[in-house]
Amino acid sequence: MKLDRPKDWYERRIALEGDLEIGAGVPPGYQAQAVAAPAAKPVETRIAFGTFVELWRRSRGWDSVKLAEEAGVSPEEVLEIERYPQSEPEPSAVYKLAQVFKVPAKILLELAGLVAPRTPNLRQAAVRFAARSESVAALNDRERDALEAFVAAITETAGKHE
Amino acid sequence: MEESRVYLKKMATGQLVEASLLDEVIDKHLAMWKASWQTAMQTHCAGRALRDKPEDHHWNWTQKADYWRPLLGYHSFAITCEGDLQGLMLVSDFESARVQAQFGKPIVYVKFLACAPWNRPEFQTPPRYRGVGTVMVAAAVELSWNLRYRGRIGLHSLPKAEPFYRDTCKMTELGKDAAHQNLTYYEMTNTQAEEFRLTH
Repeated sequence: MKLDRPKDWYERRIALEGDLEIGAGVPPGYQAQAVAAPAAKPVETRIAFGTFVELWRRSRGWDSVKLAEEAGVSPEEVLEIERYPQSEPEPSAVYKLAQVFKVPAKILLELAGLVAPRTPNLRQAAVRFAARSESVAALNDRERDALEAFVAAITETAGKHE
Repeated sequence: MEESRVYLKKMATGQLVEASLLDEVIDKHLAMWKASWQTAMQTHCAGRALRDKPEDHHWNWTQKADYWRPLLGYHSFAITCEGDLQGLMLVSDFESARVQAQFGKPIVYVKFLACAPWNRPEFQTPPRYRGVGTVMVAAAVELSWNLRYRGRIGLHSLPKAEPFYRDTCKMTELGKDAAHQNLTYYEMTNTQAEEFRLTH
């Protein structure tokens, strides 16, 4: 490894160092261990939360409206949870969904970033789950129709404003 | 082993003098450590209470070398100047960052860093050379760039050295680490590393 710095860099940096002590390190044989890990970014686990909600709903052939009715939440809340990991869901909505899904509410609250992370490795598992759940399937007829209709709608809207 | 020309400040003249940074500690350096560094340390510590001894007085670099040499992932550095050893450093390349902004990304972790006793104000006034810390941090940052870690480094500072890492190197302080004898952990982010490397 080559360290290549001009002489004046040393002049300036050594002046800053002054008489300060510089030692670093711990006794021999010491194994580094993690300090308390920083809180997981809620958005990372919320992606997994939204993915879970969507897959659970689709596994039963429900649309967002049906799930919203069953849980007693608004369709907008379901849509927000599934699509917008940046937004923070209401705790009450998460509780209600947990009852429908029959899973522990405290885990869902943790995934939703509404309580401090306390389950070991939950973040890693959640991110892995979300990544593995990413769909690679071709669009079905219904999705293709919806896509084409949406493209047509935005094309028309754009045309009106040109 | 590659040698880089670096500079230290010779305090007797106030001038920069050429020094060598070696990216591998070899037997010759360990022999220099034993012959002069360790002897100076033992002389200084004789009869002193533990609290008055340098925080690294117990470090045995020969034993450390026995530990790291058979292992992958370690890099050692030595600085020599005017025929004598001036500083030693051991780093590893398999630790992960703890600062939130770069959490989990690989860093160069400074496992041990020390300058020779005659370069410390507590041993002699004025010390022989200054700049060992600067050169070693620069070496750790450079290695981090070479490994594509983008300059990220981390270390546990000995208590008296904290101002150097916090105020001079502008590293991020992450508080005392109970798992490391309550030493304070510091990390340099990519942005801080770029700032450190600036040549103007």
